[in-house]
Amino acid sequence: MSLSKLLSAAVVAAALLSARAASALDTPAMTKMLQVIDDRQRNGGDYKALVYLEQKEKDKTDVAREAWVYRRDADDKLMILFSKPKGEAGKGYLRLDKNLWSYDPNVGKWERRTERERIAGTDSRRADFDESRLAEEFEPSDKGEETLGKYKVHHLILKAKANIDVAYPLVELWIDVESGNILKRQEFALSGRLMRTLYYPTWRKLFSESKNADVWFPDQIRIYDEVEKANSTVIAIKSVDLHSLEANLFTKAWLESKSR
Amino acid sequence: MGQLRLLIQVAFRNLFASRINLLIGAIIFFGTLLVVVGGGLVDSVDTAMSRSIIGSIAGHLQVYSDHSKDELGLFGQMGGEPDLAAVDDFSVIKPLLEKHPNVKTVVPMGTSGAMVTSGNTVDLLLARLRELYRQRVDHGETPELREQLDSLKGHVRHIVTLLESDLANKDTLLSDGALEPADEEAIAKARSDAFWAGFEQDPFSALEFLENRIAPLLPDGTMLYLRYAGTDLESFQKSFDRMELVDGQPVPPGKRGMLLSKFFYEEFLKLKTARRLDLIKRERDINKKRIAEDPEMQRWVKENTQQLREFALQLDPLKTKLAIERLQNHLGTKEPNLEKLLASFFATTDDNFDARYATFYKDLAPLLELYRLRLGDSLTITAFTRTGYVQSVNVRIYGTYQFKGLEESQLAGGLNLMDLMTFRDLYGYLTPDRKAEIAEIQKKSGVTAVARENAEDALFGSSAAPLVADATPGLLNDKEGMDGMGHLRREDLAERVYNQQELEKGMVLSAAVILKDPSKLKETMAELQQSAKDANLPLRVVSWQQAAGIIGQFVMMAKMVLAIAVLIIFVVALVIINNAMMMATLQRVREIGTMRAIGAQRSLVLNMVLVETLVLGLVFGAAGALLGSGLIAMWGHAGIPAGNPTLYFFFSGPRLHPTLSLGILAAAFVIVLVVSALSTLYPAFLAARVSPLRAMQTDE
Repeated sequence: MSLSKLLSAAVVAAALLSARAASALDTPAMTKMLQVIDDRQRNGGDYKALVYLEQKEKDKTDVAREAWVYRRDADDKLMILFSKPKGEAGKGYLRLDKNLWSYDPNVGKWERRTERERIAGTDSRRADFDESRLAEEFEPSDKGEETLGKYKVHHLILKAKANIDVAYPLVELWIDVESGNILKRQEFALSGRLMRTLYYPTWRKLFSESKNADVWFPDQIRIYDEVEKANSTVIAIKSVDLHSLEANLFTKAWLESKSR
Repeated sequence: MGQLRLLIQVAFRNLFASRINLLIGAIIFFGTLLVVVGGGLVDSVDTAMSRSIIGSIAGHLQVYSDHSKDELGLFGQMGGEPDLAAVDDFSVIKPLLEKHPNVKTVVPMGTSGAMVTSGNTVDLLLARLRELYRQRVDHGETPELREQLDSLKGHVRHIVTLLESDLANKDTLLSDGALEPADEEAIAKARSDAFWAGFEQDPFSALEFLENRIAPLLPDGTMLYLRYAGTDLESFQKSFDRMELVDGQPVPPGKRGMLLSKFFYEEFLKLKTARRLDLIKRERDINKKRIAEDPEMQRWVKENTQQLREFALQLDPLKTKLAIERLQNHLGTKEPNLEKLLASFFATTDDNFDARYATFYKDLAPLLELYRLRLGDSLTITAFTRTGYVQSVNVRIYGTYQFKGLEESQLAGGLNLMDLMTFRDLYGYLTPDRKAEIAEIQKKSGVTAVARENAEDALFGSSAAPLVADATPGLLNDKEGMDGMGHLRREDLAERVYNQQELEKGMVLSAAVILKDPSKLKETMAELQQSAKDANLPLRVVSWQQAAGIIGQFVMMAKMVLAIAVLIIFVVALVIINNAMMMATLQRVREIGTMRAIGAQRSLVLNMVLVETLVLGLVFGAAGALLGSGLIAMWGHAGIPAGNPTLYFFFSGPRLHPTLSLGILAAAFVIVLVVSALSTLYPAFLAARVSPLRAMQTDE
């Protein structure tokens, strides 16, 4: 290769690199982006939602459930209580401190579960229902701008911080440049294996008096299992109510009382 | 006839005349020995195993749905349980099968498996405390209840003390070693007198604190895979004669309940320390092994001296004191530390083992819960049902059972028995009502399916809905729906007695058919298959061997391996005998030429060579068969020890007593004669062509 060709190649490479750098985000900007996502979904007071869960599995008939999700974001508390079908009514999950408890009224027992628990046997995890804590739990890095369908998106790579217990340590996010909402999320095991792909086609906002601002929530979360490719789950959040909940709601005794 | 006698005489005269004959004889001898011994052993294993499989679970025939994706495998298959379609109503197929004159009984069945999880020691203690406080809320306090509450609280407090001392010693037995300051604060709070003094004022809050902050500091509880067969337990016990109850009582007719396999109960639910002591004793007493020489026994002893936590956590302060006193007495020491005393006690040798084993069961076992689950207790089983819902049931364990002769077999011992109603709950059969309910929920959810392949285009493409929308504010009413049904259901189920009609009218995965005359198995199988077809029922009828899956194929495989080995040996024999006979014939050209010169016909020479080889085959074959029969008779008397528990199943007990059938002896002789005759044909033909003239010329 002649010297002139080498020089021109270097110039092209430098130009490409600088173009890449122009669209890249620095860490504070990325953290800010995550904070906005977290903050939008957080309510200063309580949160109650009517949710439907639909699960498709290979060689099985479709499964559907109705559930109530309760959150008290100030105390990091979460409860999921199933109400339909009849056989599922009264079953629930309760997150207290770092414990995720599962309760089944058919047997009257509480069991401690891990972050990887498949909520009610579906492809959903606890974090899909809970308050968003991306900025607190992950370190972001940038993969640049891309397009997703007709939207321009920021592609971020998130690594879980040390000593933080999350279901998957590696997450990739595709964030809508215009609205700042997550449109797509992929989660990976430590080995790098892709585990789940999630889509958030529509985000809704509701004014909260306690927060004095809008609280955002996804209208649907479509989850595709990447290990069992035929399996998928849809979480449909039908309605959200931001009024205060009973003070003692986030206790085992309260969940038990629902089916006694 | 006279000629034959002459030829036989010549054959016997020549029997040991040449080394070549001895070589041929040796090959025939070993070949026959292999056929007789190998055939006898494989045949006996086949018989023993068929006893194991037929008598334990399969029956002679199994009937299951023809819509099943997999083949029936009663002992499971690679990667879990086979995917079987349910037979919707057992009460429809039972009369159809029972109509056949050779069918004695039909037993409903289904096998499946589930994970059984249990929290750690503190979780279990706290769950028990919570249950007692709930009882107090519902029925008020009694002196007995008070005593139980105080004893359990004392035990929890004792464990917190142990935790704190571990922390002080920088011990790493905590779940992940390093403790955060918040955890240390929690332990300090749980140790404080103030916490326990205020416990009774709000016991549920105190319990939640212990459950959420203290229990997670201990290592996780256990997880166990439980394999079970759901069946009509009464009919099962009557039909499978090898089944016997060991401890406890049978499940009362019509009630829900379970019988655990004794092997499973000992292996997985017994305190590990005690289980290891039992295993060491078994090796010493039955297999006559010594700790000093056996590495596995040494490993058990070592584990017993090191894994003492499960043991120590079980003891409350009073029992700890008693255990220390008893150990000090036995060991003649003043050592005050329980774990040191236990480590020294469990460091058993061949000399002190028997004494310590006896002391353990006499002095220490009464202080402990030897089994994680007592007979009479309820076990919570959680299964992923066929419909995708996770279903949990509480089922009472009435007793333990075993299959006679298969006590130590892991294969037979891995299966626990359960009533049909509980099995159906865990299977999660979708009734039309439930299907309608799911359809209703799906309608309300308004979710439409989006295929994975074009999800991005459908959700974010040009025709997708807008990304952001306003939600409708309002109050949500969550007060309806859960009407206390869980509690009622739980109480109901444990006490309910189901009648035979209820048991039989419902789904099963298969039906075991016991025959009156097992020798007509094949005909009956074909006839039952035909009658199912005639009745328009999609059923598959299979033999016990097919029903047992891979295990059933084991004997078939052993037979094939033996047949291939025999085939190879005799093909080699054929070639060697052929070559050897050619050489022998060439060596005898002068003799044959002379015989021909003095008037022997070609046919006489041909017959002479043939008869010589046949006699050789018969004599050495007989010797091989005799030795083989002797070996089988000797083993038949003494039994071949199974050695490892996996073989118990194939031997149908701890020893195999092989027998020899006339068929195998006859087969051995036929093979020997055919091989001898075939391998001699060409040399005999060559011999017959030797001319007297050529014989003379060669001699010159």
